[in-house]
Amino acid sequence: MMKKLFLLNLAFLYILVAPAMSQGVVKANQYTISGKVTDKSCGEMLTGATVFVKELKTGAVSDMYGNYSLTLTGGIYTLVYSYIGFTTIERSIDFQANQTLTVELTPRLHNLKEVEIRSEKEDVNIKKPEMSTFRMDIRTIQRIPALMGEVDVIKAIQMLPGVQSVGEGSSGFSVRGGAPDQNLVLLDEATVYNVSHLMGFFSVFNNDAIRDVKLYKGDIPANYGSRLSSVLDVRMNEGNSKKYEVNGGIGIIASRLTLEGPLIKDRTSFIVSGRRTYAGLFLPLSSNKALADNRLYFYDFNAKINHRIDNNNQIFLSGYFGRDVFKNDYAGLRWGNETGTLRWNHLFTKKLFSNFSFIYTNYRYALTMPGGVNNSFEWTSNLRDLGLKGDFSYYLNTRNTMRFGASVVYHMLNPGIAMGIGNESIFSEVKIPANNAVETCVYASNEQKLSDRFTVKYGIRFSLFHNVGPGTVFHYDSAWMATDSSVYPAGKLYNTYGGMEPRLGLLYDINGKSSVKASYARTFQYFQLAQNSTVGTPLDIWFTSGPNVKPQIADQVALGYFRNLRRNTIETSVEVYYKWMQNVIDFRDYARLLLNTKLEGEIRTGRAWSYGIEFLVRLNEEKLSGWVSYTWSRTFRQMAEINAGNKYPAPYDKPHNLAIVLNYNISKRISVSANWVYATGAPVTFPTGRAEVGGKIIPIYSDRNAFRYPDYHRLDLSLTYYSKVKPGRRFNWDLNFSVYNAYNRKNTWSINFEQDHENPDITYAEKVYLFGIVPSLTFNFHFNND
Amino acid sequence: MIKRIFFGILVLLAVTGCTERIEVKLDETYNRLVVDGCVSTDSRCYQVNLTRSVGYFYNAPVPRVTHATVILSDGTNPYPLAETRPGVSGVYATDNLFEGRAGKTYTLQVILPEAIAGHATFEASCALHPVTHLDSVTCEFHSDYGKKGTWFVNLWAQEPGEEVNYYLFDLYRNGILLTDSIHKKEISEDIFFNGNYLSGLTVMYLDQSVEAQRLVQGDTITVQMSGITKEYFNFIDQVKRSDFNLPFFSGPPANIQGNISNGAIGFFAAYSSTYAMKVVR
Repeated sequence: MMKKLFLLNLAFLYILVAPAMSQGVVKANQYTISGKVTDKSCGEMLTGATVFVKELKTGAVSDMYGNYSLTLTGGIYTLVYSYIGFTTIERSIDFQANQTLTVELTPRLHNLKEVEIRSEKEDVNIKKPEMSTFRMDIRTIQRIPALMGEVDVIKAIQMLPGVQSVGEGSSGFSVRGGAPDQNLVLLDEATVYNVSHLMGFFSVFNNDAIRDVKLYKGDIPANYGSRLSSVLDVRMNEGNSKKYEVNGGIGIIASRLTLEGPLIKDRTSFIVSGRRTYAGLFLPLSSNKALADNRLYFYDFNAKINHRIDNNNQIFLSGYFGRDVFKNDYAGLRWGNETGTLRWNHLFTKKLFSNFSFIYTNYRYALTMPGGVNNSFEWTSNLRDLGLKGDFSYYLNTRNTMRFGASVVYHMLNPGIAMGIGNESIFSEVKIPANNAVETCVYASNEQKLSDRFTVKYGIRFSLFHNVGPGTVFHYDSAWMATDSSVYPAGKLYNTYGGMEPRLGLLYDINGKSSVKASYARTFQYFQLAQNSTVGTPLDIWFTSGPNVKPQIADQVALGYFRNLRRNTIETSVEVYYKWMQNVIDFRDYARLLLNTKLEGEIRTGRAWSYGIEFLVRLNEEKLSGWVSYTWSRTFRQMAEINAGNKYPAPYDKPHNLAIVLNYNISKRISVSANWVYATGAPVTFPTGRAEVGGKIIPIYSDRNAFRYPDYHRLDLSLTYYSKVKPGRRFNWDLNFSVYNAYNRKNTWSINFEQDHENPDITYAEKVYLFGIVPSLTFNFHFNND
Repeated sequence: MIKRIFFGILVLLAVTGCTERIEVKLDETYNRLVVDGCVSTDSRCYQVNLTRSVGYFYNAPVPRVTHATVILSDGTNPYPLAETRPGVSGVYATDNLFEGRAGKTYTLQVILPEAIAGHATFEASCALHPVTHLDSVTCEFHSDYGKKGTWFVNLWAQEPGEEVNYYLFDLYRNGILLTDSIHKKEISEDIFFNGNYLSGLTVMYLDQSVEAQRLVQGDTITVQMSGITKEYFNFIDQVKRSDFNLPFFSGPPANIQGNISNGAIGFFAAYSSTYAMKVVR
């Protein structure tokens, strides 16, 4: 059965790709130039560098691995290689034969390590049929003032238009009204199931090990899928292939150390990066003496090695390992992710590039509750993925670029086993049945330049999802009570879902300085998180689609106007979008999600919809950089049995959202940054009445999300002082002073309604806020053997 | 056990939060009958409280519902309940030696002289389940828990294996009920120990830094274990969860489901109880 379906997938791929491939028969007198664009200073590949043909006013863009390919009719052309922050190189090429040309661009040095912050390509904002995306390199992120000085990828993402933070200090985010579990977060292609360290105050991404991030909020390319709302693609550094470097930082809560360099110069490089928080973390901040016994810390490692076999073959091995540990008298909790990616980048011909990946990811946690004589117990859970994936890019000619590929992911879920510790334990084992699933997909897409002004991008993704035994599926009656169950043996495919996910993008280039873009994308999601609170815990319970849970489906349309100003140093855009979501998951009132064998009986499904308008001005000037974004959006849900079947604002419905993120280089040695964020208060359900039962006041609530928290706003500031730049100097440092929540706003984290202890007839509202003003100091250093 | 998990994470999360009283403007329109009553296997006088719901910031004793007709029935015999202070108290009581029987289903009927929210008659039924025998209770002091140590109250009993059981635990110190309001009571389902001999299941933690929970040598501790229905278990669970205000697991707030008909709030419960005592040494 499974083999048959997989063959069906392949047949489908062939049908999609074959006609297009046949067009690609090489015409006489056409030659291809291909190669890599790399950073001369460290050998790092440059993604999104442009190769522009001066005479033809056309060109190519380097891919994720720095590879480019251009096919032109015979003749002499001038190729211009450029990348933001690097010196442009011009080469005159006589196209009389196919050839390979690797180009090394030299960074225009501002500060030794700190290259100017610019977007990937001068006018990619206008010329590429891609919208609703945002790409940032790590240097941009490093300049954003951060909580306790711990610079963070996710916190930067939360300040983009169309992205809402799910709560103060949380690593969860909502993209265009989607739930946090509708974001696919990838670290070197491996899914990261829980991106939080320390309950979300920090993310798992160590910025010393990260090269860049790209967020797709819509217009999701055909090679991505399996989540409704967004893809956050995080790429690790490749490691310096020219010289050894040691980078590190000492902050108030954590220290970092990174070592990178060539194992074989220009051929093999590595990077190892580690980070750990100090013991006794947070304790000085806590007024509660009882917390003195708590231990709370995290650590993580990133490592990557890459080896260039020859011009056509390169292999990469990368991994991440992170753990959070919390202990006190009452509980011990450990959780974390592990990911591993092995990639082989192969150039079949000068036009056909490929990448094959083997991916492993594991998210797990263990909760130990020490008790009296025989009351101790432990609860463990894990979720593992094994994936195999092949992606191809075919540079047919300057007008057509095709991408196609296939992937298989095997999900293994152990949602939870709780058992007593020791022989004398009074607790029996409670096990949520393990279950497995296979997710396969094939996709193909083509980016076709129809005229100088008009470009279309069309693609389709066919995804299939199978539940694989062993599995236990409960049957539910109309009142959601389990009646009986079916048990399936190991290896049995007992349920299949699948669907076509069309993707479409249009670009009309108005005058070279402005363009109009439109897109449509359908996405399927077979995997979701059982979470009914807005703020996550480390004890995530993921569950799959199955006989009782249909896949979630989203359709999104977007229309945008893009304009660049001042020689592409200012990018502006306006986008409107509408998103419809079906089979969206919510849970019944007072759902029991932890250790519940009949979790599916707690699920209620329905529809959700979101719409909005997003304005963005992005500055890439010599001294001033950053962005200003404003979003107006609404998101609603409607579910059977929730809020009496009436529509209600989704938990992340915050209509107004403004973010100002700016960095100004006062001199070569001093740089200042500021950000200010404003968002309408999150919707919330408040009690409107009360009743007295059993000596206790019990609340009677309003309609779901009928009230709002007060509006959220916050200013963060930072100043970075750099050591003197001298050519040939081996040791450089910088000192960063930052202030989180500079004007000490007590932003609401939650509002609790309490009964007065003295007079139980009195009830009052109490606001909980997490942070007052938080200053911090971070020292960073760079050492190289140049 | 789930509660302990919650508690474990709660301690983890109680890290940096600061609180401040604030003013919140709420619309106050809700008006419902509130019923609060029970019967158990103990022979005593049982009371049913009838009140009205009020706006959330009403901040005065809730209004009583007087002059109602309240009838308790065990399926065969009706037992009319009399208002303790007619026209004043809103408390309706059985005689002094009323005793529930396991295996019967008790029904409470309330008829009001004036309708509340469009209804004048209300009804609630609850089965009275048996409970296993409580063999004994022990107390165990852990100096490493909490600032001044914590007393663990453990019980010993054979958990019956066949059916799903729901338990309610109350605690008395020298005969005075410590779990004197519903959110202080402890509940448990048998999922984690179905059919096991409970050799010291910890059901209560008495934090010695809290005045109201302090024990001294010679104090007598009494545990009351009651077998309750799934509906009553869910009701208490919801009350406790609505009191447990943390956005981490509370889920969106929602109205608590009771068992009174016609939109009234509250619960009429029936259960059987067993007791065990221990003198603190």
